Amino acid sequence: MELQRIAHALDAEFICGPDDWEKINIETVFASDLMSDVLMSDRDELLLITSLSTEQSIRSAGIVGSEAIVIANNKTVTEGMIELAQDQDVALFCTSHPKYEACVRLGRIMEP
Amino acid sequence: MSEEHKQPLQSSLRVQELVYGLRISEVMTSKVFAVSRNCTMRDVQTIMKNNSITGVPVVDNKRVVGIVTMNDLMNALEQGAMEHNVTKWMVGEVQTLAEDMPLSFAISAFGKFSFRQFPVVNKKNELTGILTFRNINHALIRELSRQLREMEQKNEQPEEPESLKFSKVYQLNRYDFENGGKASSEIKKFLKERGVPPKLVRRVAVASYELEINLVAHSIGGMLGFDINENRVKISSHDRGPGIADTEKALTQGYSTANEWIRSQGFGAGMGLPNVKRVSDEFAIESALGMGTMVQAIINLKPETENENK
Ligand SMILES: Nc1ncnc2c1ncn2[C@@H]1O[C@H](COP(=O)(O)OP(=O)(O)O)[C@@H](O)[C@H]1O
Ligand SMILES: [Mg+2]
Repeated sequence: MELQRIAHALDAEFICGPDDWEKINIETVFASDLMSDVLMSDRDELLLITSLSTEQSIRSAGIVGSEAIVIANNKTVTEGMIELAQDQDVALFCTSHPKYEACVRLGRIMEP
Repeated sequence: MSEEHKQPLQSSLRVQELVYGLRISEVMTSKVFAVSRNCTMRDVQTIMKNNSITGVPVVDNKRVVGIVTMNDLMNALEQGAMEHNVTKWMVGEVQTLAEDMPLSFAISAFGKFSFRQFPVVNKKNELTGILTFRNINHALIRELSRQLREMEQKNEQPEEPESLKFSKVYQLNRYDFENGGKASSEIKKFLKERGVPPKLVRRVAVASYELEINLVAHSIGGMLGFDINENRVKISSHDRGPGIADTEKALTQGYSTANEWIRSQGFGAGMGLPNVKRVSDEFAIESALGMGTMVQAIINLKPETENENK
Protein backbone atom coordinates (compact mmCIF):
# COMPACT_ATOMS: atom_id res chain seq x y z
CA MET A 1 0.00 0.00 0.00
CA GLU A 2 1.24 3.47 -0.83
CA LEU A 3 2.40 5.60 2.06
CA GLN A 4 0.18 8.42 0.84
CA ARG A 5 -2.96 6.36 1.53
CA ILE A 6 -1.72 5.45 4.97
CA ALA A 7 -0.93 9.05 5.85
CA HIS A 8 -4.39 10.06 4.73
CA ALA A 9 -6.12 7.37 6.78
CA LEU A 10 -4.20 8.43 9.88
CA ASP A 11 -4.82 12.16 9.37
CA ALA A 12 -1.06 12.27 9.68
CA GLU A 13 0.95 15.42 9.26
CA PHE A 14 4.01 15.04 7.03
CA ILE A 15 7.11 16.43 8.74
CA CYS A 16 9.98 15.35 6.55
CA GLY A 17 10.97 12.60 4.15
CA PRO A 18 12.28 11.81 0.68
CA ASP A 19 10.78 13.69 -2.30
CA ASP A 20 8.83 10.71 -3.57
CA TRP A 21 7.50 9.63 -0.20
CA GLU A 22 3.90 9.38 -1.38
CA LYS A 23 4.75 6.44 -3.59
CA ILE A 24 6.72 4.44 -1.04
CA ASN A 25 5.27 0.96 -0.73
CA ILE A 26 4.48 -0.26 2.79
CA GLU A 27 3.81 -3.97 3.25
CA THR A 28 3.96 -4.38 6.99
CA VAL A 29 3.24 -2.19 9.98
CA PHE A 30 4.78 -2.46 13.40
CA ALA A 31 3.31 -0.65 16.37
CA SER A 32 5.25 -0.53 19.62
CA ASP A 33 6.73 1.75 22.24
CA LEU A 34 9.34 -0.84 23.06
CA MET A 35 12.38 -0.32 20.86
CA SER A 36 13.77 -3.73 21.86
CA ASP A 37 10.74 -5.31 20.18
CA VAL A 38 11.21 -3.21 17.07
CA LEU A 39 14.81 -4.39 16.85
CA MET A 40 13.78 -8.04 17.17
CA SER A 41 11.52 -7.82 14.14
CA ASP A 42 12.63 -9.37 10.88
CA ARG A 43 10.25 -7.94 8.31
CA ASP A 44 10.76 -5.57 5.40
CA GLU A 45 9.12 -2.37 4.22
CA LEU A 46 8.15 -1.46 7.69
CA LEU A 47 6.11 1.41 8.92
CA LEU A 48 6.65 2.06 12.59
CA ILE A 49 3.86 3.54 14.70
CA THR A 50 4.93 4.60 18.17
CA SER A 51 3.96 7.04 20.86
CA LEU A 52 7.54 7.14 22.11
CA SER A 53 8.69 10.45 20.72
CA THR A 54 12.47 10.25 21.15
CA GLU A 55 15.55 10.33 18.98
CA GLN A 56 16.05 6.67 19.76
CA SER A 57 12.69 5.86 18.14
CA ILE A 58 13.97 7.38 14.91
CA ARG A 59 17.29 5.58 15.27
CA SER A 60 15.56 2.26 15.87
CA ALA A 61 13.41 2.78 12.79
CA GLY A 62 16.51 3.57 10.77
CA ILE A 63 18.42 0.59 12.09
CA VAL A 64 15.77 -1.91 11.00
CA GLY A 65 15.42 -0.14 7.65
CA SER A 66 11.91 1.27 8.15
CA GLU A 67 10.67 3.51 5.39
CA ALA A 68 8.49 5.65 7.63
CA ILE A 69 7.62 6.39 11.22
CA VAL A 70 4.42 7.86 12.63
CA ILE A 71 4.52 9.47 16.06
CA ALA A 72 1.09 8.94 17.60
CA ASN A 73 -0.81 10.63 20.38
CA ASN A 74 -0.02 14.20 19.44
CA LYS A 75 3.50 14.00 20.88
CA THR A 76 5.93 16.81 20.19
CA VAL A 77 8.54 16.09 17.57
CA THR A 78 11.90 17.67 18.33
CA GLU A 79 14.36 19.31 15.96
CA GLY A 80 16.86 16.54 16.73
CA MET A 81 14.36 13.90 15.65
CA ILE A 82 13.78 15.66 12.34
CA GLU A 83 17.48 15.91 11.66
CA LEU A 84 17.93 12.23 12.42
CA ALA A 85 15.01 11.22 10.23
CA GLN A 86 16.54 13.15 7.33
CA ASP A 87 19.92 11.60 7.96
CA GLN A 88 18.43 8.10 8.14
CA ASP A 89 16.17 8.55 5.09
CA VAL A 90 13.06 7.78 7.11
CA ALA A 91 9.81 9.65 6.35
CA LEU A 92 8.51 11.24 9.55
CA PHE A 93 4.85 11.92 10.39
CA CYS A 94 2.82 12.76 13.42
CA THR A 95 -0.83 12.21 14.19
CA SER A 96 -3.14 13.27 16.96
CA HIS A 97 -4.73 9.81 17.09
CA PRO A 98 -3.57 7.52 19.88
CA LYS A 99 -1.55 4.49 18.82
CA TYR A 100 -4.42 2.03 19.18
CA GLU A 101 -6.78 4.24 17.18
CA ALA A 102 -4.13 4.60 14.47
CA CYS A 103 -3.79 0.83 14.24
CA VAL A 104 -7.54 0.34 13.98
CA ARG A 105 -7.70 2.86 11.14
CA LEU A 106 -4.89 1.12 9.29
CA GLY A 107 -6.49 -2.25 9.87
CA ARG A 108 -9.63 -1.01 8.16
CA ILE A 109 -7.96 0.18 4.98
CA MET A 110 -5.57 -2.75 4.78
CA GLU A 111 -8.33 -5.37 4.89
CA PRO A 112 -8.86 -6.89 1.45
CA MET B 1 28.56 16.57 23.38
CA SER B 2 31.54 16.71 25.73
CA GLU B 3 35.21 17.28 25.10
CA GLU B 4 35.85 13.59 25.60
CA HIS B 5 34.26 12.81 22.27
CA LYS B 6 37.39 13.46 20.29
CA GLN B 7 37.90 10.91 17.57
CA PRO B 8 40.20 8.24 18.99
CA LEU B 9 43.19 7.17 16.96
CA GLN B 10 42.91 4.14 14.77
CA SER B 11 45.66 2.62 16.83
CA SER B 12 43.40 2.48 19.85
CA LEU B 13 41.46 -0.22 18.02
CA ARG B 14 44.67 -2.18 17.82
CA VAL B 15 45.33 -1.74 21.51
CA GLN B 16 41.74 -2.68 22.26
CA GLU B 17 42.09 -5.81 20.14
CA LEU B 18 45.28 -6.67 21.94
CA VAL B 19 43.94 -6.28 25.44
CA TYR B 20 41.07 -8.57 24.49
CA GLY B 21 43.02 -10.94 22.34
CA LEU B 22 45.96 -11.61 24.59
CA ARG B 23 45.46 -13.97 27.50
CA ILE B 24 47.15 -13.30 30.82
CA SER B 25 49.08 -16.55 30.40
CA GLU B 26 50.75 -15.16 27.26
CA VAL B 27 51.97 -12.06 29.06
CA MET B 28 52.85 -13.14 32.61
CA THR B 29 56.23 -14.27 33.88
CA SER B 30 55.96 -18.02 34.24
CA LYS B 31 59.18 -18.39 36.14
CA VAL B 32 57.82 -17.51 39.58
CA PHE B 33 59.82 -17.23 42.74
CA ALA B 34 57.58 -18.53 45.49
CA VAL B 35 58.24 -19.64 49.05
CA SER B 36 56.52 -22.20 51.26
CA ARG B 37 54.95 -21.55 54.65
CA ASN B 38 58.02 -22.62 56.58
CA CYS B 39 60.39 -20.19 54.87
CA THR B 40 61.60 -17.12 56.74
CA MET B 41 61.48 -13.44 55.92
CA ARG B 42 65.23 -13.68 55.40
CA ASP B 43 64.62 -16.18 52.56
CA VAL B 44 62.21 -13.74 50.98
CA GLN B 45 64.69 -10.92 51.26
CA THR B 46 67.34 -12.97 49.49
CA ILE B 47 64.96 -13.86 46.67
CA MET B 48 63.86 -10.27 46.22
CA LYS B 49 67.38 -8.94 46.23
CA ASN B 50 68.83 -11.49 43.84
CA ASN B 51 66.03 -11.24 41.32
CA SER B 52 64.95 -7.59 41.65
CA ILE B 53 61.33 -8.41 42.38
CA THR B 54 58.91 -6.73 44.74
CA GLY B 55 56.46 -9.49 45.65
CA VAL B 56 56.84 -13.19 46.49
CA PRO B 57 53.81 -15.51 46.71
CA VAL B 58 53.61 -18.02 49.53
CA VAL B 59 52.36 -21.41 48.37
CA ASP B 60 51.12 -24.56 50.01
CA ASN B 61 50.83 -27.51 47.65
CA LYS B 62 50.95 -25.12 44.65
CA ARG B 63 47.98 -23.10 46.04
CA VAL B 64 48.60 -19.46 46.82
CA VAL B 65 48.05 -18.87 50.54
CA GLY B 66 49.62 -15.46 50.83
CA ILE B 67 52.01 -12.91 49.39
CA VAL B 68 54.95 -11.08 50.91
CA THR B 69 55.58 -7.67 49.41
CA MET B 70 58.40 -5.20 49.83
CA ASN B 71 56.24 -3.42 52.35
CA ASP B 72 55.85 -6.50 54.58
CA LEU B 73 59.58 -7.05 54.36
CA MET B 74 60.32 -3.49 55.52
CA ASN B 75 58.00 -3.92 58.47
CA ALA B 76 59.67 -7.18 59.48
CA LEU B 77 63.09 -5.59 59.07
CA GLU B 78 62.10 -2.69 61.27
CA GLN B 79 60.98 -5.09 64.01
CA GLY B 80 64.10 -7.21 63.64
CA ALA B 81 61.93 -10.16 62.71
CA MET B 82 63.82 -11.49 59.71
CA GLU B 83 63.98 -15.00 61.15
CA HIS B 84 60.19 -15.18 61.56
CA ASN B 85 58.13 -17.45 59.37
CA VAL B 86 56.64 -15.73 56.34
CA THR B 87 53.17 -16.66 57.62
CA LYS B 88 53.58 -14.05 60.37
CA TRP B 89 54.08 -11.20 57.92
CA MET B 90 52.47 -12.16 54.66
CA VAL B 91 49.15 -10.78 53.46
CA GLY B 92 46.79 -13.73 53.60
CA GLU B 93 43.92 -12.73 51.37
CA VAL B 94 45.52 -12.59 47.97
CA GLN B 95 43.86 -11.23 44.88
CA THR B 96 44.82 -13.61 42.09
CA LEU B 97 44.09 -13.57 38.37
CA ALA B 98 43.04 -16.55 36.26
CA GLU B 99 45.52 -17.32 33.49
CA ASP B 100 42.91 -17.67 30.75
CA MET B 101 41.39 -14.24 31.42
CA PRO B 102 41.91 -11.58 28.77
CA LEU B 103 44.57 -9.01 29.43
CA SER B 104 41.92 -6.29 29.76
CA PHE B 105 40.77 -7.86 33.03
CA ALA B 106 44.28 -7.61 34.39
CA ILE B 107 44.46 -3.97 33.39
CA SER B 108 41.19 -3.29 35.23
CA ALA B 109 42.56 -5.12 38.25
CA PHE B 110 45.63 -2.91 38.34
CA GLY B 111 43.34 0.09 38.18
CA LYS B 112 41.09 -1.19 40.94
CA PHE B 113 43.65 -2.44 43.44
CA SER B 114 46.89 -0.73 44.27
CA PHE B 115 48.95 -3.93 44.08
CA ARG B 116 52.14 -4.00 42.08
CA GLN B 117 51.77 -7.63 41.04
CA PHE B 118 49.18 -10.35 40.90
CA PRO B 119 49.83 -14.06 41.29
CA VAL B 120 48.30 -15.93 38.36
CA VAL B 121 46.55 -19.27 38.84
CA ASN B 122 45.22 -22.00 36.55
CA LYS B 123 41.80 -23.69 36.63
CA LYS B 124 42.92 -25.90 39.51
CA ASN B 125 43.85 -22.77 41.43
CA GLU B 126 47.55 -23.60 41.26
CA LEU B 127 50.14 -20.86 40.93
CA THR B 128 51.40 -20.67 37.34
CA GLY B 129 52.86 -17.18 37.08
CA ILE B 130 53.03 -13.64 38.23
CA LEU B 131 51.88 -10.53 36.42
CA THR B 132 53.31 -7.03 36.83
CA PHE B 133 52.47 -3.90 34.91
CA ARG B 134 55.85 -4.18 33.28
CA ASN B 135 54.81 -7.48 31.73
CA ILE B 136 51.80 -5.74 30.23
CA ASN B 137 53.78 -2.83 28.84
CA HIS B 138 56.31 -5.15 27.28
CA ALA B 139 53.69 -7.34 25.70
CA LEU B 140 51.81 -4.38 24.25
CA ILE B 141 54.94 -2.78 22.85
CA ARG B 142 56.06 -6.07 21.36
CA GLU B 143 52.69 -6.75 19.74
CA LEU B 144 52.21 -3.19 18.49
CA SER B 145 55.59 -3.06 16.82
CA ARG B 146 54.91 -6.39 15.18
CA GLN B 147 51.61 -5.02 13.83
CA LEU B 148 53.29 -1.82 12.74
CA ARG B 149 55.77 -3.80 10.68
CA GLU B 150 52.91 -5.71 9.08
CA MET B 151 51.09 -2.48 8.31
CA GLU B 152 54.15 -0.94 6.71
CA GLN B 153 54.40 -3.92 4.42
CA LYS B 154 50.73 -3.68 3.53
CA ASN B 155 50.85 0.07 2.88
CA GLU B 156 53.01 -0.50 -0.13
CA GLN B 157 49.90 -1.62 -1.99
CA PRO B 158 47.47 1.29 -2.64
CA GLU B 159 43.94 1.01 -1.14
CA GLU B 160 40.88 0.75 -3.33
CA PRO B 161 38.19 3.36 -2.61
CA GLU B 162 35.38 0.80 -2.94
CA SER B 163 37.08 -1.56 -0.54
CA LEU B 164 35.22 -2.92 2.45
CA LYS B 165 38.33 -2.71 4.56
CA PHE B 166 37.59 -0.45 7.48
CA SER B 167 38.23 -0.17 11.17
CA LYS B 168 37.15 2.38 13.71
CA VAL B 169 36.63 2.76 17.44
CA TYR B 170 33.84 4.80 19.01
CA GLN B 171 33.87 5.98 22.63
CA LEU B 172 30.62 5.83 24.58
CA ASN B 173 29.86 7.45 27.91
CA ARG B 174 27.44 6.45 30.60
CA TYR B 175 23.86 7.61 30.06
CA ASP B 176 24.81 9.47 26.91
CA PHE B 177 21.70 8.32 25.07
CA GLU B 178 22.02 11.14 22.61
CA ASN B 179 25.10 9.58 21.05
CA GLY B 180 24.09 5.96 21.51
CA GLY B 181 23.35 4.80 18.00
CA LYS B 182 25.69 7.12 16.11
CA ALA B 183 28.25 4.43 15.47
CA SER B 184 25.62 2.00 14.22
CA SER B 185 24.16 4.55 11.83
CA GLU B 186 27.59 5.35 10.44
CA ILE B 187 28.50 1.71 9.92
CA LYS B 188 25.12 1.02 8.37
CA LYS B 189 25.70 3.80 5.83
CA PHE B 190 29.20 2.60 5.08
CA LEU B 191 28.01 -0.94 4.31
CA LYS B 192 24.96 0.22 2.35
CA GLU B 193 27.06 2.51 0.14
CA ARG B 194 29.30 -0.41 -0.72
CA GLY B 195 26.41 -2.54 -1.87
CA VAL B 196 26.25 -5.00 1.02
CA PRO B 197 22.82 -6.74 0.89
CA PRO B 198 20.21 -4.96 3.08
CA LYS B 199 19.53 -8.06 5.19
CA LEU B 200 23.18 -8.25 6.22
CA VAL B 201 23.40 -4.51 6.81
CA ARG B 202 20.41 -4.79 9.08
CA ARG B 203 21.94 -7.59 11.12
CA VAL B 204 25.15 -5.62 11.61
CA ALA B 205 23.19 -2.49 12.53
CA VAL B 206 20.97 -4.29 15.03
CA ALA B 207 23.90 -6.00 16.78
CA SER B 208 25.95 -2.84 17.03
CA TYR B 209 23.00 -0.71 18.11
CA GLU B 210 22.06 -3.04 20.95
CA LEU B 211 25.68 -3.09 22.09
CA GLU B 212 25.87 0.69 21.94
CA ILE B 213 22.72 1.02 24.01
CA ASN B 214 24.09 -1.44 26.56
CA LEU B 215 27.28 0.60 26.85
CA VAL B 216 25.42 3.83 27.58
CA ALA B 217 22.71 2.17 29.70
CA HIS B 218 24.62 -0.37 31.76
CA SER B 219 28.34 0.40 31.73
CA ILE B 220 30.31 3.24 33.24
CA GLY B 221 31.67 3.88 29.75
CA GLY B 222 33.52 1.98 27.10
CA MET B 223 34.24 1.59 23.44
CA LEU B 224 32.73 -0.05 20.42
CA GLY B 225 35.16 -1.20 17.76
CA PHE B 226 34.50 -2.24 14.18
CA ASP B 227 36.83 -4.26 12.07
CA ILE B 228 35.47 -4.85 8.60
CA ASN B 229 36.82 -6.72 5.59
CA GLU B 230 35.33 -8.43 2.52
CA ASN B 231 34.50 -11.52 4.52
CA ARG B 232 33.03 -10.31 7.75
CA VAL B 233 32.17 -7.51 10.15
CA LYS B 234 33.63 -7.87 13.60
CA ILE B 235 32.06 -5.77 16.35
CA SER B 236 33.74 -5.58 19.73
CA SER B 237 32.29 -3.86 22.73
CA HIS B 238 34.52 -3.28 25.66
CA ASP B 239 33.84 -1.38 28.87
CA ARG B 240 35.45 -0.56 32.18
CA GLY B 241 32.74 -1.86 34.46
CA PRO B 242 30.72 -2.72 36.48
CA GLY B 243 30.68 -6.14 34.80
CA ILE B 244 28.05 -8.87 34.79
CA ALA B 245 27.92 -11.50 37.55
CA ASP B 246 26.23 -14.19 35.48
CA THR B 247 26.55 -13.83 31.72
CA GLU B 248 24.30 -16.81 31.04
CA LYS B 249 21.51 -15.11 32.92
CA ALA B 250 22.13 -11.86 31.07
CA LEU B 251 21.65 -13.78 27.82
CA THR B 252 18.18 -15.04 28.76
CA GLN B 253 15.32 -13.20 27.11
CA GLY B 254 13.60 -10.88 29.52
CA TYR B 255 16.41 -10.61 32.05
CA SER B 256 17.20 -6.96 32.69
CA THR B 257 18.52 -4.75 35.44
CA ALA B 258 17.57 -1.59 33.58
CA ASN B 259 16.19 1.25 35.70
CA GLU B 260 12.99 3.19 35.11
CA TRP B 261 14.70 5.86 33.11
CA ILE B 262 16.22 3.41 30.65
CA ARG B 263 12.79 1.79 30.32
CA SER B 264 11.22 5.15 29.59
CA GLN B 265 13.58 5.37 26.62
CA GLY B 266 12.04 2.21 25.14
CA PHE B 267 14.79 -0.15 26.25
CA GLY B 268 15.38 -2.48 29.15
CA ALA B 269 13.16 -5.36 28.09
CA GLY B 270 16.06 -7.76 28.42
CA MET B 271 16.12 -8.65 24.74
CA GLY B 272 19.29 -6.85 23.68
CA LEU B 273 21.96 -9.47 24.19
CA PRO B 274 19.74 -12.34 22.98
CA ASN B 275 19.08 -10.25 19.88
CA VAL B 276 22.78 -9.61 19.28
CA LYS B 277 23.38 -13.34 19.54
CA ARG B 278 20.49 -14.06 17.19
CA VAL B 279 21.79 -11.86 14.37
CA SER B 280 25.45 -12.88 14.75
CA ASP B 281 27.26 -15.78 13.13
CA GLU B 282 29.71 -15.84 15.99
CA PHE B 283 29.08 -14.44 19.42
CA ALA B 284 31.14 -14.31 22.59
CA ILE B 285 30.73 -12.54 25.88
CA GLU B 286 33.09 -12.34 28.79
CA SER B 287 32.61 -10.48 32.00
CA ALA B 288 33.47 -10.41 35.67
CA LEU B 289 31.97 -8.31 38.40
CA GLY B 290 34.07 -5.29 39.20
CA MET B 291 36.10 -5.67 36.02
CA GLY B 292 34.22 -5.02 32.84
CA THR B 293 32.36 -6.64 30.02
CA MET B 294 33.40 -7.48 26.53
CA VAL B 295 31.22 -8.74 23.75
CA GLN B 296 32.32 -9.80 20.33
CA ALA B 297 29.90 -10.32 17.48
CA ILE B 298 30.88 -11.46 13.99
CA ILE B 299 28.63 -11.28 10.96
CA ASN B 300 29.82 -13.01 7.82
CA LEU B 301 29.41 -11.11 4.57
CA LYS B 302 30.24 -13.87 2.11
CA PRO B 303 27.32 -16.10 1.14
CA GLU B 304 29.38 -19.29 1.21
CA THR B 305 30.32 -18.70 4.83
CA GLU B 306 27.01 -17.16 5.82
CA ASN B 307 24.79 -19.13 8.11
CA GLU B 308 21.59 -19.68 6.11
CA ASN B 309 19.09 -19.80 8.95
CA LYS B 310 20.12 -16.54 10.53
N1 LIG C 1 28.02 -3.57 29.07
C1 LIG C 1 27.35 -4.04 30.15
N2 LIG C 1 27.82 -3.80 31.40
C2 LIG C 1 27.16 -4.27 32.47
N3 LIG C 1 26.01 -4.99 32.41
C3 LIG C 1 25.50 -5.26 31.19
C4 LIG C 1 26.13 -4.80 30.00
N4 LIG C 1 25.40 -5.23 28.96
C5 LIG C 1 24.37 -5.91 29.49
N5 LIG C 1 24.42 -5.94 30.82
C6 LIG C 1 23.49 -6.64 31.75
O1 LIG C 1 22.79 -7.62 31.04
C7 LIG C 1 21.39 -7.39 31.12
C8 LIG C 1 20.71 -7.84 29.86
O2 LIG C 1 21.13 -7.04 28.75
P1 LIG C 1 20.18 -6.91 27.49
O3 LIG C 1 19.84 -8.29 27.02
O4 LIG C 1 20.80 -6.01 26.49
O5 LIG C 1 18.85 -6.31 28.08
P2 LIG C 1 18.52 -4.81 28.56
O6 LIG C 1 19.60 -3.90 28.03
O7 LIG C 1 17.21 -4.56 27.95
O8 LIG C 1 18.49 -4.83 30.05
C9 LIG C 1 21.28 -5.91 31.43
O9 LIG C 1 20.07 -5.58 32.06
C10 LIG C 1 22.46 -5.70 32.34
O10 LIG C 1 22.20 -6.13 33.64
MG1 LIG D 1 20.32 -3.94 26.14
